[in-house]
Amino acid sequence: MRKEKFPIGIPGVNLREIEREVPVTEPPAWPINDKLKHVGKSVKRTDAILKVTGKAKYTADINLPGMLQGRMLRSPHPSAKILSIDTSAAEAFPGVKAVYVLRSNMSGAEPKGGEDNGYPEIKYAGQAIAGVAAKDGQTAEEALKLIKVEYQTMPFVVDMDEAREPGAPLVFEQQVEQEETGGGGGGAKGLEQQGNVRGPSTKSFFGGPRGDVEQGMAEADVIVEGIFRTQVQTHSALETHGIVADWKPDMLTVYASTQSTKGVRSEMASIFDLPESKVRVICEYMGGGFGAKYGAGNFGVTAVNLSKISGQPVKLMLDRKAEHLAVGNRPNSWQELKIGAKKDGTLTAIKQESYGTAGIGLGAGVGRVAQAVYECPNFLTEQYDVFTNAGPGAAFRAPGNPQGAFALEQLIDELAEKLGTDALELRDKIDNSVVRKEERRLAAKAINWSRRKKPGSDTGVIKRGIGVAQSTWPRLIDIDSTAEVRMYRDGTVEIRSGVMDIGTGTRTILSQIVAEELGLEPEQISVKIGDTLFPNGPASGGSKVSGSITPAARNAAYKAKQEILKQAAPKMEEKAADLELKDGMIVSKTSGKTMSFKDALKQMRTSQIMTSASREDDYGGFMVGTFISHGDLGSVQMAEVSVNTETGFVKVEKIVAAHSCGRPLNPMQIQSQVNGGVIQGISYALYEDRVMDKNTGHMLNANLDQYKIAFSMEIPDIEVINIEEYTARSSTDAFGIAEPANIATAAAVANAIYNAIGVRLYELPMTPDKVLKALNLV
Amino acid sequence: MKKFTWVQPDNIDEAQRQINAVTATIATGKTIQGAAVIKAGGVDLLDLMKENIIAPAKIVSINALPGLGKIGFDEKSGLRIGALVKLSDLEENAEIKKHYAALHESVSHAATPQIRNMATLGGNLAQRPRCWYFRSEDHKCLKKGGTKCFAQEGQNQIHGIFNTEICPCVHSSSVSTALVAFGAQVEITGAKGKLRNVPLAEFFVSPQVDVTRENILERGEIITALTVPAPPKGQKSWYIKQAAKESYDWALADAAVVAQMSGDTIKDVKIVLGAAAPTPYRATAAEQLLRGQKVSEKLAVQVGTAAVEGATPLAHNAYKVPMFKAIVKECVLNLV
Amino acid sequence: MSEIKSTGTSQNKTTSPAPPQKREVTLHINGKNTTLSLAPWTTLLDALRQYLGMTGTKKGCDHGQCGACTVLIDGKHINSCLSLAVMQQNKEITTIEGLADGEDLHPVQAAFIKHDAFQCGYCTAGQICSTVGMLNMKKGNSPAEIRDLMSGNICRCGAYANIFAVVEEVKEN
Repeated sequence: MRKEKFPIGIPGVNLREIEREVPVTEPPAWPINDKLKHVGKSVKRTDAILKVTGKAKYTADINLPGMLQGRMLRSPHPSAKILSIDTSAAEAFPGVKAVYVLRSNMSGAEPKGGEDNGYPEIKYAGQAIAGVAAKDGQTAEEALKLIKVEYQTMPFVVDMDEAREPGAPLVFEQQVEQEETGGGGGGAKGLEQQGNVRGPSTKSFFGGPRGDVEQGMAEADVIVEGIFRTQVQTHSALETHGIVADWKPDMLTVYASTQSTKGVRSEMASIFDLPESKVRVICEYMGGGFGAKYGAGNFGVTAVNLSKISGQPVKLMLDRKAEHLAVGNRPNSWQELKIGAKKDGTLTAIKQESYGTAGIGLGAGVGRVAQAVYECPNFLTEQYDVFTNAGPGAAFRAPGNPQGAFALEQLIDELAEKLGTDALELRDKIDNSVVRKEERRLAAKAINWSRRKKPGSDTGVIKRGIGVAQSTWPRLIDIDSTAEVRMYRDGTVEIRSGVMDIGTGTRTILSQIVAEELGLEPEQISVKIGDTLFPNGPASGGSKVSGSITPAARNAAYKAKQEILKQAAPKMEEKAADLELKDGMIVSKTSGKTMSFKDALKQMRTSQIMTSASREDDYGGFMVGTFISHGDLGSVQMAEVSVNTETGFVKVEKIVAAHSCGRPLNPMQIQSQVNGGVIQGISYALYEDRVMDKNTGHMLNANLDQYKIAFSMEIPDIEVINIEEYTARSSTDAFGIAEPANIATAAAVANAIYNAIGVRLYELPMTPDKVLKALNLV
Repeated sequence: MKKFTWVQPDNIDEAQRQINAVTATIATGKTIQGAAVIKAGGVDLLDLMKENIIAPAKIVSINALPGLGKIGFDEKSGLRIGALVKLSDLEENAEIKKHYAALHESVSHAATPQIRNMATLGGNLAQRPRCWYFRSEDHKCLKKGGTKCFAQEGQNQIHGIFNTEICPCVHSSSVSTALVAFGAQVEITGAKGKLRNVPLAEFFVSPQVDVTRENILERGEIITALTVPAPPKGQKSWYIKQAAKESYDWALADAAVVAQMSGDTIKDVKIVLGAAAPTPYRATAAEQLLRGQKVSEKLAVQVGTAAVEGATPLAHNAYKVPMFKAIVKECVLNLV
Repeated sequence: MSEIKSTGTSQNKTTSPAPPQKREVTLHINGKNTTLSLAPWTTLLDALRQYLGMTGTKKGCDHGQCGACTVLIDGKHINSCLSLAVMQQNKEITTIEGLADGEDLHPVQAAFIKHDAFQCGYCTAGQICSTVGMLNMKKGNSPAEIRDLMSGNICRCGAYANIFAVVEEVKEN
């Protein structure tokens, strides 16, 4: 170990130095961004030209010689037992090369105890049953219709409130479990299950209940409470889930539209009983995931089997309908929240109880904002999963947290009003986060908070309002993150990692990091990622890519630098320790002698230098055992809306989004990502809603016209404020921004609507009918 | 999409010889052997085929038929729009913008810019409803020859508030809301060139007449044009579409008001509501209130209220009542 | 896989009552004529992606609702998923692959890079074609008009704000 001094804090607020012990193999501390050349600059995306010319190849674009087209048969019934399946006619259909019937359901919660007749029970309309591979899509579709399935239909329930009632049709007869994931899917083990209700879950990685809420409520001078509801939202990435599977005797190659190449590899290896070394997963370009694209999936297992049977590569992309039905969604929520406070605003207790349905899956909680944002000695949350006959939920951008923030931040607003305090002043009092305090200050200035009027005080049909909401997200780290840096004799430099670029700009920041360390330009760094032939990188989820892979990348580049300097030193008649890399040159700090980097590479002993490094543990240790870095990613968003009080139509006019993500690596990309989070937040707040028919058990709007998503005309003026915040935790000290950008938006819009019309909305999405109802016009 | 054959005749007689079905009848399952249907822009047709709602054996493209792609205007005889005119061409037409403001407005908020570049006026009038039960192959509803309307007991937030007893689907052409208010007529060409001109309001069919179809087109008939009377002196019009969002969305409520003004007095007026009933809905009681009156805020409110008189909203769409009141009021206020 | 037979112009006039399943279809794409043997139910999108290997144009919903498949027909932007290939003969089809002039990007493409007007990139081809279509119409003259005319394309990553900046810049030049 050695001692090293690092910048810590927020420039202009509390920037100072801290000394930490770091492993001797780690590179020296970087100064703050304005002293760096590439890091912290808005470098253009390295893959930009490929994306604007249509040359970037996504999974859907992969075309292998002899490739077949796969299609899937899905259940038209929401609940049924499959008595028999006859595939003979489909198999005999000209042009069909393989038919495969699924023997288990790969997604959602798993019942304990096996199936009787070898077919998985049908638990939702749209559940995968079988797949066909044929010479073209048309043939495969026709063949699907020839598969004869004999169903015994069963009672079903798709409405959460009905599913909670005693005597409701049981989605699972048995106790179920689903592995908990860092991203938010699955659930704690061994919780009680009664009827369709499982829980409560009372813990998160921030710990369990604190103090005594009843005592805290008794001590309160003011109590605010409410019941809040949020809807089911589907991820609706523009590229649907899908894979191209190429089964060869010596190697299974899978091109997958996935957020985790290593995750797909390990699942495929385990399902097909192959060593991981014989499974290769590639995801070069990917058309959006937002949390839904992990693992092999029913479609993946089907495609691999079809390839295995036919001996040919098989492409299987989901259609838009299946994408809505079967591969993930943000669960809904019913949430009762109660907050007690002293007259001076000090919180005395927070009590939260929630129910949510992730369909046949687990993971329908309301997150941890209520637990983590404000100081409060007494806290209790009880979060229940409710099973319904609907497609399984999946992690979706800050799982649970937008739901939680929608309730928490509205009640904090209500509390401020009851106490006669300004909404920001109360937060200044009860929120001890330094970064959020600065964010509140800057955001308030940007939106001109001081002009905020009394709720509902605008005259006229159209009323305007301003609102605020806050959030937090942990700094998650995937320790299994490794990068390899290669230097070649021809002067080129390459970085490799299995991490993929979901669109956030991972390629670009990796090129910036390596260029910074080696004194080169970012465009000189060739970035090879999204392939399990490279060392494992983190999954693109949980806002953990930047925090996980950039330290590994810098460390690997640093090691490669040590090696090339060691080799160049004798040729320059210098000591390696005196040499540095700067602007494409090796420079002696003592004599000023130089040698070009290219020349040094030309004279390497071997034709290449390859170094790899992983991420060290956090400097100063992790906060908790599951690799969470210290501190939180605090965010403050403010919204300005106009509400037509006769039609109920809400328009978001402006959002100010103030965020921190540690050391910002590429401000332009950060801004893009925050814009995206805000827009998804607006879409969630006002438009998106999965509509299920209670009587038939079907989703009615499994498309992109009746499932309403914000398009161009729904986009307000968005101002992004990005705080530089140093924490001295790794060799890059950078963290992600995807999840934080999305958490507070709906709550900020809700508070702005309240400020506009003086009536609070307790249910998402805040559509005209709900506004009209709140205004007593319906 | 099921397989089909495709023909593109270059004269109307041949087209009529080829066509043997209207899309409505083939959705009912009583499939005509080798059903052949008309395709113009193909936007709605292909969508229905991809959703497995219809599966015609033959598609007869009428795009090569001569003379159907023109817009003609003359102050005396009015407006004539060929059935193959694209919505984007209507949107760009300066005379329509000038003389038929409500029509311009309704067209420019239809669908998306891309679809407006593809969709024809004829196709827009003949499009099938957007009811999610009708559009789902898993729901064999009345309109598809089934025995049940799922919307009655189900999710009916996007459905109508008038004439809801049989099938509360609303007609999804918001362009026709404006066209009916202008008193447009449809020119339909039948076999052997037989023409019939029908007021657009009578072109649409209510579920009482036949729940499986939305218009009067018979087998082999082709919409060839739409005519709109010349604008009388003092004609003013306004149109408002209210949807869940502004980009690409179907109306939750839309209204067109076309008035003949004398100074600020309304001599005559038509008020039509879209997304309110299975066919464009004339709010005659509201019209009556306006005739001979000067527009005022108070009167506009009364007209809005009268427009929804007799509404019978369903379990999930009562919000449409105040919404219609508001947009009708707004349309009326914008006449002056 | 590829069913390209020959190049050169040809025109099909068909009125025969029972045409064969496949027919020769000549498409004029990005300045070149290509004749394919296609079934009539082949959409323009599938013809591009599956039969010509032109995968720059994307399939997002296959129902004309997302705009990922947007291409230009005689300069106007349309949804290629809702159009049959057979309908587009004798028309100028421009796809994302045809916008750049060799190595020189189309100004709209260059502005997309400058303004970081995409993230995952899957909707980008459609967004760029819609932008070009709007410029062809000499539209996009105000922020409201830009939003209106770009309202047929979803960007689920949410790059809209930067796309608006692209149009504003390209309009200025």
